[in-house]
Amino acid sequence: MSAMGAGPDHLFNLRNNFYLGAYQTAINNSEIANLSPENAVERDCLVFRSYIALGSYQLVISEIDESAATPLQAVKLLAMYLSTPQNKESTISSLKEWLADSTIGNNDTLRLIAGIIFMHEEDYNETLKHTHAGGTMDLYALNVQIFIKMHRAEYAEKQLRVMQQIDEDHTLTQLASAWLNLAVGGSKIQEAYLIFEDFSEKYPMTCLILNGKAVCCMQMGNFDEAETLLLEALNKDAKDPETLANLVVCSLHVGKSSSRHLSQLKLSHPEHILVKRVSSAEDNFERAVQLVA
Amino acid sequence: MLTKFETKSNRVKGLSFHPKRPWILASLHSGVIQLWDYRMGTLIDRFDEHEGPVRGVHFHNSQPLFVSGGDDYKIKVWNYKNHRCLFTLLGHLDYIRTVQFHHEYPWIVSASDDQTIRIWNWQSRTCVSVLTGHNHYVMCASFHPKEDLVVSASLDQTVRVWDIGALRKKTVSPADDIMRLTQMNSDLFGGVDAIVKYVLEGHDRGVNWAAFHPTLPLIVSGADDRQVKLWRMNETKAWEVDTLRGHMNNVSSVMFHAKQDIIVSNSEDKSIRVWDATKRTGLQTFRREHDRFWILAVHPEMNLLAAGHDSGMIVFKLERERPAFALSGDSLFYAKDRFLRYYEYSTQRDSQVIPIRRPGTPSLNQSPRTLSYSPTENAVLICSDLDGGSYELYIIPKDSVGRSDVVQDAKRGTGGSAVFIARNRFAVLEKSTSQVLVKNLKNEVVKKSPLPIPTDAIFYAGTGNLLCRSEDKVVIFDLQQRLVLGELQTPFVRYVVWSSDMESVALLSKHTIIIASKKLVLQCTLHETIRVKSGAWDDNGVFIYTTLNHIKYCLPNGDSGIIRTLDVPIYITKVSGNTIFCLDRDGKNKAITINATEYIFKLSLLRKRYDHVMSMIKNSQLCGQAMIAYLQQKGFPEVALHFVEDERIRFNLALESGNISVAVASATQINEKDHWYRLGVEALRQGNSGIVEFAYQQTKNFERLSFLYLITGNLDKLSKLMKIAEVKNNVMGQFHNALYLGDVKERVKILENAGHLPLAYITASVHGLNDIAERLATELGDNVPSLPEGKTPSLLMPPTPIMCGGDWPLLRVMKGIFEGGLESADRGGTVDEEDVEGDWGEELDINVDGMENRDIEDILAAAEAGEEENDEEGGWGLEDLVLPPELDTPKASANARSSVFVTPPQGMPVSQSWSQKSSLAAEQAAAGSFDTAMRLLHRQLGIKNFTPLKSMFLDLFNGSHSYLRAFSSCPVVPLAIERGWSESSSPNVRSPPALVYDFSQLDEKLKSGYKATTTGKFTEALRLFLSILHTIPLVVVETRREVDEVKELIVIVKEYVLGLQMELKRREMKDDPVRQQELAAYFTHCNLQTPHLRLALLSAMGVCYKAKNLATASNFARRLLETSPVDSQAKMARQVVQAAERNMTDETKLNYDFRNPFVVCGSTYVPIYRGQKDVSCPYCTARFVPNQEGNICTVCDLAVIGADASGLLCSPSQVR
Repeated sequence: MSAMGAGPDHLFNLRNNFYLGAYQTAINNSEIANLSPENAVERDCLVFRSYIALGSYQLVISEIDESAATPLQAVKLLAMYLSTPQNKESTISSLKEWLADSTIGNNDTLRLIAGIIFMHEEDYNETLKHTHAGGTMDLYALNVQIFIKMHRAEYAEKQLRVMQQIDEDHTLTQLASAWLNLAVGGSKIQEAYLIFEDFSEKYPMTCLILNGKAVCCMQMGNFDEAETLLLEALNKDAKDPETLANLVVCSLHVGKSSSRHLSQLKLSHPEHILVKRVSSAEDNFERAVQLVA
Repeated sequence: MLTKFETKSNRVKGLSFHPKRPWILASLHSGVIQLWDYRMGTLIDRFDEHEGPVRGVHFHNSQPLFVSGGDDYKIKVWNYKNHRCLFTLLGHLDYIRTVQFHHEYPWIVSASDDQTIRIWNWQSRTCVSVLTGHNHYVMCASFHPKEDLVVSASLDQTVRVWDIGALRKKTVSPADDIMRLTQMNSDLFGGVDAIVKYVLEGHDRGVNWAAFHPTLPLIVSGADDRQVKLWRMNETKAWEVDTLRGHMNNVSSVMFHAKQDIIVSNSEDKSIRVWDATKRTGLQTFRREHDRFWILAVHPEMNLLAAGHDSGMIVFKLERERPAFALSGDSLFYAKDRFLRYYEYSTQRDSQVIPIRRPGTPSLNQSPRTLSYSPTENAVLICSDLDGGSYELYIIPKDSVGRSDVVQDAKRGTGGSAVFIARNRFAVLEKSTSQVLVKNLKNEVVKKSPLPIPTDAIFYAGTGNLLCRSEDKVVIFDLQQRLVLGELQTPFVRYVVWSSDMESVALLSKHTIIIASKKLVLQCTLHETIRVKSGAWDDNGVFIYTTLNHIKYCLPNGDSGIIRTLDVPIYITKVSGNTIFCLDRDGKNKAITINATEYIFKLSLLRKRYDHVMSMIKNSQLCGQAMIAYLQQKGFPEVALHFVEDERIRFNLALESGNISVAVASATQINEKDHWYRLGVEALRQGNSGIVEFAYQQTKNFERLSFLYLITGNLDKLSKLMKIAEVKNNVMGQFHNALYLGDVKERVKILENAGHLPLAYITASVHGLNDIAERLATELGDNVPSLPEGKTPSLLMPPTPIMCGGDWPLLRVMKGIFEGGLESADRGGTVDEEDVEGDWGEELDINVDGMENRDIEDILAAAEAGEEENDEEGGWGLEDLVLPPELDTPKASANARSSVFVTPPQGMPVSQSWSQKSSLAAEQAAAGSFDTAMRLLHRQLGIKNFTPLKSMFLDLFNGSHSYLRAFSSCPVVPLAIERGWSESSSPNVRSPPALVYDFSQLDEKLKSGYKATTTGKFTEALRLFLSILHTIPLVVVETRREVDEVKELIVIVKEYVLGLQMELKRREMKDDPVRQQELAAYFTHCNLQTPHLRLALLSAMGVCYKAKNLATASNFARRLLETSPVDSQAKMARQVVQAAERNMTDETKLNYDFRNPFVVCGSTYVPIYRGQKDVSCPYCTARFVPNQEGNICTVCDLAVIGADASGLLCSPSQVR
């Protein structure tokens, strides 16, 4: 998005806040004067995506009406998908319909949202069909994550390289390279840590940054520091699912009880991957006992 | 060339630096000698006694003297302190070209157009030697700095070196009579004390200058043949070494540089040239438009040169002396000579890091100008003026003690300045286009960004921000947002110093210091008359800086002051408490301890930290007029009061601060009318009428006093005053008082006594005092005045006071905040000072005051903040975003997407690789392959009951991944946590999973298990030991040795589990004493820690003794004694033994034969004696009677008794 243009980048702070997980700050500081129509749409997208990230799906659904621009409609679709998982079939079918429409099918935001939704469906084939061409930093970053999820670091790296060519210092580029560094592990983890460290120096601390640092620490075997960071994150947001999940993991490693954090996570985010893993593991255990016996 | 000072005058023919002070003498063609302070730029003195041009001038190196010689054939010796010529040496017969003092002897050497060189003794004021030999004008003559030599240059085209050893001997040992005789002879004939040693021929024209090298046997000369020649000499001969060509006209003067290996010459071709003395090549040339150069001078100590020309002179340096440095936390990186060096503040350790220049490369003006350091990457950017501005990027190797002298191949580039803006990004200024290039550590351009103003230098301004400098302003520019964050008009900024919290910045110009916030909001400006050199922030937010000759401070409000003076300029690098760390011009690190009391005191005042102020007043010797003046000026007279002894000043301060009691005390001491009066005025203002009265009494100011009594209603005193007035015969005063008192009779009486009978009569009659009026009328006789007609007289009576005396409600003076602060500080600080008069009401007020102030500040701050925000918002809407072209491009590529792209198959998750690779159960469990893990455990340890292991399995699995929230609203990315990470682990190579259990945790558990056992909490202990036993199958250790330890641990724990199980069982069997005894006995045969064994023995002994099985009991007792128990236990054991000796029998038969070694069956708790058949648990090694085979082991509750097993596998080292 932001190549070597001249002129100030009005949406910079908003975008940054959104990427770094300072969603409320992003929403609060979204009143920016003198935006061009395109920028205004992008601004609205970012604001509504922030609301989605905060879980305010209904607000997004009711705020975006029929007349809104395509990107906003796409965002609304995401809100609908996430708010009512039971209706996801219809959401997906209308998504597919839009994607097939040649007039709007190529819209970057629509493709991005499609990517996110299909990723939730774990249909990577479908996801990549829409996102692989990239085009915006968001799409490239999404691709990086998809390939990481698919355990194809080499593909992720290619996407990252494209991002670096566009703007190496872009927040998303930095974030994506941190993700990739964490995924490939080894000495790269240190670089990931430094990236999060840079963020924490430059911008206000968010749960996302703290969790990023904590994950790096855990990967480096430094669970004590990770615990401190996670507790700091917990202070900021006592219900942040990643903070809770990572705290569970971290507590296990430092030999403390993790059950409280786990029950909290189960209560507030029953759909979280850790919760799912825990319950599947229990079944798995019973099955294995049967199998071995 | 860096010009430090310039004068405009007549042609300058002679120059001399003062060896210590910043002074220079310039002798002019007009006959005047000027004395300048080149640092301050002021003319100190002028000496005007020569007639005609003065060509030679020289300072004495220790006395306050200088010598001059001119075209009037006179050599004059002057005392510059007395501003006068001491005496004149006469003898030369023509113009005098140069004069010079000897560095040691009281000699002067002079060269003259009369073809001679003369040496004079300025103490005896005589000529001691005449050196003849030149056959044309001698243009210059000078002593060798160490040896007994003189070098001279003459228009006869030669340079001559003279040996004056004989002259020196004569001076050194004048007492030697025989010598003196011969010397007198030689004096008569002349020329014997000074003989020509060498005649240097080689110049084709007249030689204008010749000079010795300060240390080496070298001479340099310059002549009208436009050449500079270098000569070398030894004991016996001298020869020409080389010729330096380049000057286009007569060379006027040439000399060696005092410190560097260079030669400097100047010429009538209007240029100064700098030559490399070793390579004999020209290094630099400085030209002037119109002025021919005539003379050159080198400072003997410092790096300074001076040159005289047709219209004045210049004092200059050849290169900067400020070492380039960069600060990073506790360490300082700086460039010295050709090395990058590192200094650690805490240890004051100084070491060489890497060489940055090859040895022998020319150094003039190529030394680093600025340095920028990135701590995380350990990279250094060095900028220099080379090639019109360039930078070099060095990565310091990790083992940076690098003694090696190999110069790294640095990454280079050109650019005005280069500075790190993030860990691995630096910005390079491209002056021509006014844009910055952001580069990465590979020196590749990452981004280009145009700058908002024409910039000639960039500085760091926080991550991602740059401070751009132009001629008259600086701006802070955010490179990512491309926004100007702040802008400030400034003089030309040379250095930028950020406070450690990056909240404030100091911008140093030549004569100005500007302190601003991080958004460049001006906080204060300081002007200095002398150059500002460097500065650093101290921990309290005070800016400490140096000028050429002072260390000074600047408080946040702009107050500044001197901390101490400096002899030589220094460059502050860091301030830490009372210590200033600095670099000097030789690039040495120094720590200077300063007295910070003054500025800390002022800072505390400023910040309203009155407790600090108070304690500082109490503890330190702060005083002096300056401090009092400061306090007064800043509105803290009450603080100043604490410092002052002098009563008058005290009185003034007390009045100013409204402290009446102190003022009264002082006034009493002073006891002067004026002071009493002023005290009265102040007391009146405050409403303290008691003091007012006192003051008026002291000054005997009755009128004021009576008026005071009137308005305070103090009628008693008023009437007293009236009496006093009567006594003093003060009629007017008496009358006034009577009037004030409304005493008509008295008034009539006074008027009568004063002889104003008609007035008295009228007064009496008007007031109806008829008898008096009649009496007066008779006295007046005919002259009875007529009463005014038609007017109704009214009674003039002052109102009766309702109440009288006492003070009025006192005005609350500005005593306010501070006194309160002081007093409360007193109370807080020293408990025993209870005599402080606490006036609670007042204090309350004071607090309110304080609050108000703070509130106001808050409001102000808030208002400011608000403004800032507004500003920011204003900044947004400048222009519409130009949409980057990229927005259009994806459409083309997106169209092609579905056709070409093939989704790659999914890769292998890390956990899968774990389960593929590992044969360790724990790792399989972490990978989620529970069945494989169980199979492994079954095979290795015969484990069949997995239920106790369930939570371990789950924990291992749950702890194997962390969760990364990546893209917003997307599923999170689980990341496999690997074991044994190190900085050098290579990426993409998978290590085994990090496990939540490790051996050290088990050790902890074992200890707490022991503890629980000792305290008798057997259930708890059993739980702990069992959990150890259950965890061990899922523990992974690294080394073989640890494997052995794990195996040992199993056995140890098993013994305890078995023992504790038996003990718990025993407690259940209250009704079966035999079984109880047996179990107690078996317990003592478990392998326990000695203290536990003792307890087991004790309990077994007790049980048996009670059951009257004395023999068995005594056996336990004996075993107990063998463990050397504590006294009480030993005593009991001995008693048991004694009791048993009398009766060595057992009441009941036990299944227990202690003579026969046995193990205890883990489930039936019966002894299995040696030789009997048994089966064992493949995991915990517990033994069982044969019929237990196939059951689950009751000790570990995991494995099948008697099952086949390959053995515990708990380390990758076992697999290898």
